[in-house]
Amino acid sequence: MHDRVARLFLPLGAYLVVTLVPFYWMVVFAFRPTGSTALVPWPITLDHFRTVWTDLGFAVFFRNSLIVALGTLVVVSVFALMGGYALARFAFRGRRAFLLALLCSQFVPGAMVLIPLFLVFKATHLLNSLQGLVIADSAFQLPLALILMSGFVRGVPVDLEEAAMVDGCGRLRAFLAVVLPQLRPALVAVGSFAFIGSWNNFLFALMFAGRQDRFTLPVGLSYTLGEFNVDFGALAAGGLVAAVPVVAVFAVIQRFLVQGLTAGAVKG
Amino acid sequence: MSRAKTVALVLACALAMAGCGDDGGGGKETITFWDNNGGPARTPVFQHLIAQFEQANPDVHVEYVGIPSSSVQQKYDTAIAGGATPDVGGITTSYLADLVGQDALEPLDDRLSASPLHDKLLPDLVDDVRRAGGQKLYELPSSANLDVLWYRKDWFAQAGLQPPSTWDELLADAARLTDKAANRFGYTVRGGGGSVFQLLSEAYAYSSVPAFFTADGVSTVADPGNVDLVSKVAALYGKATPSADVNNGYTQMVAEFTGGTVAMMHHNLGSSGDLMKALGPDKVGAVPLPVGPSGKRTVVPNPTDGFGVFKASEHKDAAWRFVQFLLSKDSNSYWNQQVGQIPANTDVYEDGWLRTNQPVAMALGVLRAKDTVLATAPFALPQFSAITKADSEPLYQKVLLGTLSPKDFLRKLADELTAAERDRRSHNG
Repeated sequence: MHDRVARLFLPLGAYLVVTLVPFYWMVVFAFRPTGSTALVPWPITLDHFRTVWTDLGFAVFFRNSLIVALGTLVVVSVFALMGGYALARFAFRGRRAFLLALLCSQFVPGAMVLIPLFLVFKATHLLNSLQGLVIADSAFQLPLALILMSGFVRGVPVDLEEAAMVDGCGRLRAFLAVVLPQLRPALVAVGSFAFIGSWNNFLFALMFAGRQDRFTLPVGLSYTLGEFNVDFGALAAGGLVAAVPVVAVFAVIQRFLVQGLTAGAVKG
Repeated sequence: MSRAKTVALVLACALAMAGCGDDGGGGKETITFWDNNGGPARTPVFQHLIAQFEQANPDVHVEYVGIPSSSVQQKYDTAIAGGATPDVGGITTSYLADLVGQDALEPLDDRLSASPLHDKLLPDLVDDVRRAGGQKLYELPSSANLDVLWYRKDWFAQAGLQPPSTWDELLADAARLTDKAANRFGYTVRGGGGSVFQLLSEAYAYSSVPAFFTADGVSTVADPGNVDLVSKVAALYGKATPSADVNNGYTQMVAEFTGGTVAMMHHNLGSSGDLMKALGPDKVGAVPLPVGPSGKRTVVPNPTDGFGVFKASEHKDAAWRFVQFLLSKDSNSYWNQQVGQIPANTDVYEDGWLRTNQPVAMALGVLRAKDTVLATAPFALPQFSAITKADSEPLYQKVLLGTLSPKDFLRKLADELTAAERDRRSHNG
């Protein structure tokens, strides 16, 4: 038992302290009054949350972030399923080159394509719209999602589909009835990557929106760090507002996520 | 299956809703205004002023967009490249040359001459924005922001000290007020982001060298007086300042000051709101940045904040009306009172709040004093920001850590500035 404490719980405990102290600090700043130097959030105040939610407009930013992140999740998941399946199951000319191109697209930073994308969105009237953000975020998330998903699909034995086809299913029916249920952990993994990537995207959210009511949470958070002044209480409260939904989603899906990451492409 | 359908339907509705929204104009002329420092301190102030403007100008609707200050230049650059600039924008002289270079702004000289504001704006500030814009007026100044020394009134009173007026007094007070065992330090050094601009304003205040360049275009940064000051500040680091200061940006300095760790902090009037909110006027005071052995006062002004009208605007007259409104006596007074900066409209100087707001009143006194010399930093040099930030800030950290001499550091900085100034002069003929 002592051995277990020394080898497992102590290192894990130390790691947890290192990881959680910044979060604790965020909670302290978010709940204690401005000017307080207390190490615990007492007396408690909700002023900072009122500031960010009402004065800074986080209510709108939160809604926008949710719409954009969910939209990106749906678009990326659907296209990753279709593309990933095609890459895994069909042999076609240029497949390897296409996979390489997908991989290389990950090396292109968002800032480099900012102005070309801006011009395209302007011409297609997608500036100042959340759909535009969904499209931009999806385009950036999709390559990785495709690579991951093709690995997951490859992990599902072809025999299962063939058995379904022998029983009279078409390819689509075989995919929906046999392959798709096997891909549930993969969808969770790919979807959560897309959700988080979009949720955290600051650059596109700021650059493609020219209206206050089209900004998302990362833009709202950067409001709290002004040119000459910084509102630590609002920064911490805003950080909590932005982090809590993501943490909650992860708490629910982490079982699938671990399963998803070990079941497919990265399986030994 | 029906649950899956419901989820799909909700998501589809959410996506469809994403594009919905009204124009908010209602047949009025709509102008877009970008605030270059959006956030809890300024957004409500502008919203209040916009409501007043719209009441007085019922034919104009102002669409406010707050841009985070850290990304505002990139936002402007992208908007200019993409042809989607606002009608009116908040601008500071630190990136005015960049916008003017892209031919994005409307010259305002003629409009100002014909405006009731023509003799109301502080001449020093008008000269400053004119110089930064290449001798034309592309920005009208709204406020000035001076560097000051913030100090803990209560700690100084307890120690029986007066706030310092010379750098030698500051160094002595910093040592006296340091009690490492109690985690209290006399001073905080800015060693991280923004360190070199702040250091230069300290150096010129000490050496009282009146300009950044000689008439021949040679940088004065490596003046022996400046080297002396940098050596003194570097010697203070770690002894009367927290060791973590080597990475300090202004956020960390403000956190140390409001957190009760340091007694004195060199920053500008911009942090006034945060300091007063956290500690209150009984505990915080401001004095001018100390002077050097000559006793003369040389000030390196911060970039001047103001407003510009964009060339691509289709509503230039309405945009100009809005700019005039923002700079009118009442608006300029309200805005500067709320954010704690020096008003550009000289009619405001009779307002009562200026007499009771000690930091602003003190800074205005410094700015208007006849013997104050303004050594304006060369913001019009396109390389100025890169030289003083990316090139020099890591070197200043080496100076603080004792691995580079103050003389070598300033020599290198001076050489780069001289080369940039020569480059500018050769291009301008």
